[in-house]
Amino acid sequence: MATVPNRLPNPDRFPDAEPYWAALAEGRLMLKRCPSCGQAHYYPRPHCPFCGAAKTDWEASSGRGSIYSYTINRGAPRPMAVAIVELAEGPRLSTAILDADVHALAIGSPVVLTTFPGEGGQPIPAFTTPEAEAARAYGKRARALTHDVRGVTAADAAPLQRAAVVGGGNMGCGIATALLAAGLPVVLIDQGDAAVAAAVQTIGRNLDAAVQRGKATADEVAARKAALTTSLRLEDVAGCDLVIEAVFEQMALKREVFAALDRHADPQAVLGTNTSGLDIDQIADATARPAAVVGLHFFSPAHVMPLLEIVRGPRTGARALAQAMQLGQRLGKTGVVVGVGKGFVGNRLMRARDEEAHRLLLEGALPQQVDGVLTEFGLPMGPYQIADMAGGIELVHRVLTEQGRPEPVLSRLVAAGRLGQKTGKGYYRYEPGKRRAIPDPEVAAMVADASAEAGITRRRITDDELRDRLILPMVNEGAKLLEEGVAARASDIDVVWQRGYGWPAWKGGPMYTADRIGLAAVHTRLLALQAQHGERFRPAALLAKLAAAGGRFIPDAD
Amino acid sequence: MHLNGKAYIVGIHEHPTRRADGVTTAQLHADVALGALADAGLTLDDVDGFFCAADAPGIGGMTMAEYIGLRNLRHIDSTETGGSSYLLHVNHAMQAIAAGHCNVALITLADRPLAAGAGTALAGIDMRNMPDRPFLAAVPPGPLFGYAMVAKRHMHEFGTTSEQLAWVKVAASHHAQHNPNALLRKVVTVADVLASPMVADPLHRLDCCVMTDGGGAIVVARPEIARSLKRPRVKVLGGGEALKHPDGGRIDLTYSAGVRSGAKAFEEAGVTPADIRYASLYDSFTITVVMQVEDLGFCKKGEGGRFVADGNLISGVGKLPFNTDGGGLCNNHPGNKGGMTKVLEAVRQCRGEAHPAVQVKNHDIVLAHGTGGSLAGYHVAGTLILGAE
Repeated sequence: MATVPNRLPNPDRFPDAEPYWAALAEGRLMLKRCPSCGQAHYYPRPHCPFCGAAKTDWEASSGRGSIYSYTINRGAPRPMAVAIVELAEGPRLSTAILDADVHALAIGSPVVLTTFPGEGGQPIPAFTTPEAEAARAYGKRARALTHDVRGVTAADAAPLQRAAVVGGGNMGCGIATALLAAGLPVVLIDQGDAAVAAAVQTIGRNLDAAVQRGKATADEVAARKAALTTSLRLEDVAGCDLVIEAVFEQMALKREVFAALDRHADPQAVLGTNTSGLDIDQIADATARPAAVVGLHFFSPAHVMPLLEIVRGPRTGARALAQAMQLGQRLGKTGVVVGVGKGFVGNRLMRARDEEAHRLLLEGALPQQVDGVLTEFGLPMGPYQIADMAGGIELVHRVLTEQGRPEPVLSRLVAAGRLGQKTGKGYYRYEPGKRRAIPDPEVAAMVADASAEAGITRRRITDDELRDRLILPMVNEGAKLLEEGVAARASDIDVVWQRGYGWPAWKGGPMYTADRIGLAAVHTRLLALQAQHGERFRPAALLAKLAAAGGRFIPDAD
Repeated sequence: MHLNGKAYIVGIHEHPTRRADGVTTAQLHADVALGALADAGLTLDDVDGFFCAADAPGIGGMTMAEYIGLRNLRHIDSTETGGSSYLLHVNHAMQAIAAGHCNVALITLADRPLAAGAGTALAGIDMRNMPDRPFLAAVPPGPLFGYAMVAKRHMHEFGTTSEQLAWVKVAASHHAQHNPNALLRKVVTVADVLASPMVADPLHRLDCCVMTDGGGAIVVARPEIARSLKRPRVKVLGGGEALKHPDGGRIDLTYSAGVRSGAKAFEEAGVTPADIRYASLYDSFTITVVMQVEDLGFCKKGEGGRFVADGNLISGVGKLPFNTDGGGLCNNHPGNKGGMTKVLEAVRQCRGEAHPAVQVKNHDIVLAHGTGGSLAGYHVAGTLILGAE
């Protein structure tokens, strides 16, 4: 996790260079050219450093160039290579290449100018790659497309007036925080005074954080806090046009809550359930108004994460869906409408990847190798860094054990009390008070032990094999989601992974990346993996069809 | 005018510390000054010329002159060119002595960046006021990235490999094992270097020099004084200095200013690279050494990687023994400036006083070279050729 601010220091300004900064503010780079000797120079000065002429002229650079030399800055909080770029106009300058696939750079690669705000908002000149620019442009179009949902227009929905959140756990508190920050009055309902008091405290802390980050004034936060009321009775959902249930992820419990909501909620209210995987239709079935029920899959922490999976059940009505989409916009989140299916869109891809990661551990990889391949690929963290940070090791272990399929490495971690960062160790070890994941020989021993128990002879697994076996199953799973109609379009999958799982904007998304690799190549590789490792790698029918036809998941992305 | 033989190095001292907690930088300057004068058999009162760089606390050399106790100064020079400052100081001392400005010149370096937590910063130098800085604001400070880009370009142009770079470190470690004061005395292999963490591709951690506190001092004197002293005499045969900078955007990473400083020094000394028996080469990073063996003419441009490989820099094994104290890569790089220690080990070799395990047999002509600043940007190279008499 980055502990360094994601901003570069503001440059000092010297006199005589105002045209440079004015142009840069508009995304253009200025050079100086000498009218006497004709030479161009970087950086600007009034005189000519080549012939000594007292006056030189400003000249707009194309902002295009190529890499003369470079090196990756591994300590940077964002993808960054330090580089010397040769501008098309000739001069070479020391600079940085930012927010691009720095591992794919080479001497001679083309780069284009970009600017990034310094600490005070002043632009700083840097470069990026044309590929990264194209991916970012695609991401913008992909996000805009999420508003295009069959038969529904968010703008037609009546503006939301008042919300109820049922359940004051972490998710409920995060959701309530997001609603309050968007200016909606909220009634928070839970069982017992202690639970309610704890929730109010958490929400207060969440809201205060906005002041510390400079995102809200103290007065604004005070008003938000005043808009929060609490109750111990589900009857108090009356008067709300939006109810979001965020109780424990258990079907029987959710159905019980929805049966009660059906009795007490206003007839026009939208009934949302925050679930990360349950069947919305079964929940809706507990009510006499299934058309009002919609899934709202928030991501933790709900007041921070910019993604909202809006789950459209088979009976979810257009009005409820429109309200949910409007809610996403109101909360400043990217709402992506998805269909019912295990794990919806985002978690379905993640599960495909993570289950393969566990197999790779048993075959010969170590957590740091898996995470390293994925972070070098561009993801902010790998599955084992996430597991250690999110603190779900114990919970996941319990769930898997209950399902009768305990994960052998995870079981060993839990038995050894390695529950993640909060206990100072998990898949990695941590220095006291620090968050840097340090590979631990003890974990390597546990992994080796698990391999031995499974009767697997460990082997060296190349980074290329790891990357293929971690990324291609995600692509394949995405293709299946398209076949099943859980995702309406490939770009929706990419949006989900960008906004909810940190897929870098400069790399588009899993489906966009597959298109760049070429679907024929993806298909061929999956077939080879299938032959070697089994049916789980069998290419989805859609993928096979597109590969054969020379097609793409996103035909119009260029 | 050739100054060949117009001055001698008569005293040297390297501070044994590598981490200077509980002592001031000023005291370190005094310690090394007194050490070098004692080595020469001279006193504070004999010193009439003082040379120091920005690591000297106070203003120019005047504050340290008072602190150390120099009261007969007729000449002062606070040339600051980063790590190469002290090679330039020897050259300037020779010029000053030849011109009659002084008879005995004292040169000091001391700093304690480790104890002070100053990182790779150079004492007394403010990089923030550089006029190009606002236009290059995306570039992180520090020398690492620039040298990595030099190495990357060298590989691109000439096919140099990481294994070849690693050999520079391997050779330094072979020498450092015999130096009881060296920070890193363990002999390493090419595989060790390649297995060390990548810090800025293509440079690994073991491609980088050490960071240490400490310092050193040199006493330069006119020939008559040198002959009156009891120590083996080391004659300054030639000196050169040259500057290279980004030149308004005409950046070329394939050569350094050493091309010109070396040519000048060789010309003044009347010798050629083939005559050099030992070379102290600046080793902030392994690539720095590869660039210098080319730029100083020990091999053709582009062949530096092959030249340094296979132990060719190891004393007793290869054709060009280098940095037999362990160099900046293993022994000492006090104050993030390697020029002083380059001169010190060259003098030891020329005197025949290096560790017996690394002393070269025929040590009549040796070379010391340094690069201050960044090879990828602004830098000043200084070359000295010394001869035993």
